[in-house]
Amino acid sequence: MPNTITEQNLRALIDTLVKDGSRVVGPKAAGDMTLYEPLAGGTELVLGVLPRRSAKETFFPLCEDILSYQKMEGKMTVEDIDLSRLPSTVLIGALPCDAAAPGILDAVFSWDYQDEFYLERRKKTTIIGLACTKSDDACFCTAVGYSPAESRGSDIFLLPLEGGRYRCQIISDKGNLLVERYKSFFTDEEGGNALPLSQPSMEKLDLQKIREWLENNFESDFWKEIAERCVGCGACAFICPACHCFDINDEGSEGKGVRRKHWDACGFSKFTNHASGHNPRDVQPQRYRNRIMHKFKYYDDKFGQTLCTGCGRCVRACPVGIDIAAVLQEIMKYEL
Amino acid sequence: MARTTSPAEELLYNPCEAEIISVADLTPDEKLFSLRMTDNRPLGHLPGQFVQLSIPGYTEAPISVASSPTRTGFFDLAIRRAGTLTAEMHRKVPGDTVGIRGPFGSSFDLTAFQGKDLLLISGGCGLAPLRSLIQYCQDCRDEFARVAVIYGARNPDALLFKNDLAEWRNSPAFDCSVTVDNVSGGDCFYGSVGLLPALIPPLEVIPKNTIAVVVGPPPMYRAVIEELKKKGMASSRILLSLERQMRCGVGKCGHCTIEHLYCCTDGPVFRLDQVEGVRGAI
Repeated sequence: MPNTITEQNLRALIDTLVKDGSRVVGPKAAGDMTLYEPLAGGTELVLGVLPRRSAKETFFPLCEDILSYQKMEGKMTVEDIDLSRLPSTVLIGALPCDAAAPGILDAVFSWDYQDEFYLERRKKTTIIGLACTKSDDACFCTAVGYSPAESRGSDIFLLPLEGGRYRCQIISDKGNLLVERYKSFFTDEEGGNALPLSQPSMEKLDLQKIREWLENNFESDFWKEIAERCVGCGACAFICPACHCFDINDEGSEGKGVRRKHWDACGFSKFTNHASGHNPRDVQPQRYRNRIMHKFKYYDDKFGQTLCTGCGRCVRACPVGIDIAAVLQEIMKYEL
Repeated sequence: MARTTSPAEELLYNPCEAEIISVADLTPDEKLFSLRMTDNRPLGHLPGQFVQLSIPGYTEAPISVASSPTRTGFFDLAIRRAGTLTAEMHRKVPGDTVGIRGPFGSSFDLTAFQGKDLLLISGGCGLAPLRSLIQYCQDCRDEFARVAVIYGARNPDALLFKNDLAEWRNSPAFDCSVTVDNVSGGDCFYGSVGLLPALIPPLEVIPKNTIAVVVGPPPMYRAVIEELKKKGMASSRILLSLERQMRCGVGKCGHCTIEHLYCCTDGPVFRLDQVEGVRGAI
């Protein structure tokens, strides 16, 4: 049973995957940031850094064409997007908070109607997750039921060992297929001792209690207190691995253009505005309340999961310093 | 819009082509469009459902189907000029084509209506989705007991479907009442003047054998529901159709959510008991 891989072989595996025609996405230096981006080869993989943005773009791009149209000789022609052309992808080095998110989003993208764009990418992607060795003050995965060693969502999970090796845990059939196909990169040695993982300081929150509090405090002044300063910039939603609201718009002229699906945010003031002028969430605290309710109550009510993996990106990105973990801790202090 | 792929390969977000058959003015701001799918298939909708109307370059908007599926060969959309897409739609003429996705959403449960007295109450542009049900009742009149249509608008100019209202008022099949909030000088109006909820107290309602359907602007719901409750109507016998900003129409994009409900797929037709505990619904 192959169960370890050296860092050198991991990078060589990326080279081979790329050569074999796969799109390989992993943490990569982008200016002074690290982002999940397509890798040209194994040397580009950056290890031990939480990328600035989440890995959700691998499945759900910031903006994608969903059809194109063109008027020819007075007749409008609409062309579908050929989803079979979406490349087979390996997402490599996804940290537990990012690797877990697609598994949460599958529920919304496949209930009732199937979102082919998301699901096709999901089907064609194998996730090689990596245990987290470097957290910061904003990280709170441990508070929402995840951990630096959480393999949920990964197809293969790598645990760093001493001496530049990784222990490979095969989680799914997809993971098994990849390891079988590229067996020569893996060895069946036990490897050395595990390296120490990161230790986010936040203790597990009672998410059930938070849910109940949310249920009873829809009209609480709390929302005004914490969210009056929210400027509705949407950074928290864009940077979040689990936020998935989008809009559909046309780009181009009447004669030729594309229809696009692109990210949106429930914090934007016009997000719920109707053609009639009625806006059900017309002030910012109502919109911020929706964000918290959606993550910790509504999504759970509907799909049985919490819509947050504790990556802390929204905490780092918020221009007015709203800290979602602190908001949850504040809620914990209240009596039900 | 001609498709380059067969309907079997149709993607979730891609529209099918429909042709405008006729256009009629309803009010200074609203027009009624009759359309047909260019491949001649029926739209396949049920009363209460909506479609996503699209024009290339102008994106999409959710529009309720305003005609009954019992009337075949076409379907109606009543469209208020409110944004760039609807303004462009108002410039369209018969023979022009547009994109249609759907039908989407929940519909009125017609089997539960069998043999019941129906109170079909709407205000403003709420008559558009309700017209589909009213026409269905007209065409399958024997399936129901008494049918009352109650409609209110701001003023006589704002009344939608004036021809239909006249027909329904004269029809022995319905008891049809129309009211306007106020009549400005010189308007000729045959109905009553006053707020719509005031039309409910005089009605003879047998709560156990009645189903009420309410479609209208948000403030109307609360007042009408209060009057219906006074008549002894149970929440499970009151149906609502809620308006939200549906963008995808298929329960993904998040724009139309009301707490955990997606208005586009869980709704837009809800029983009152499904939504009265849901904050922000009505």
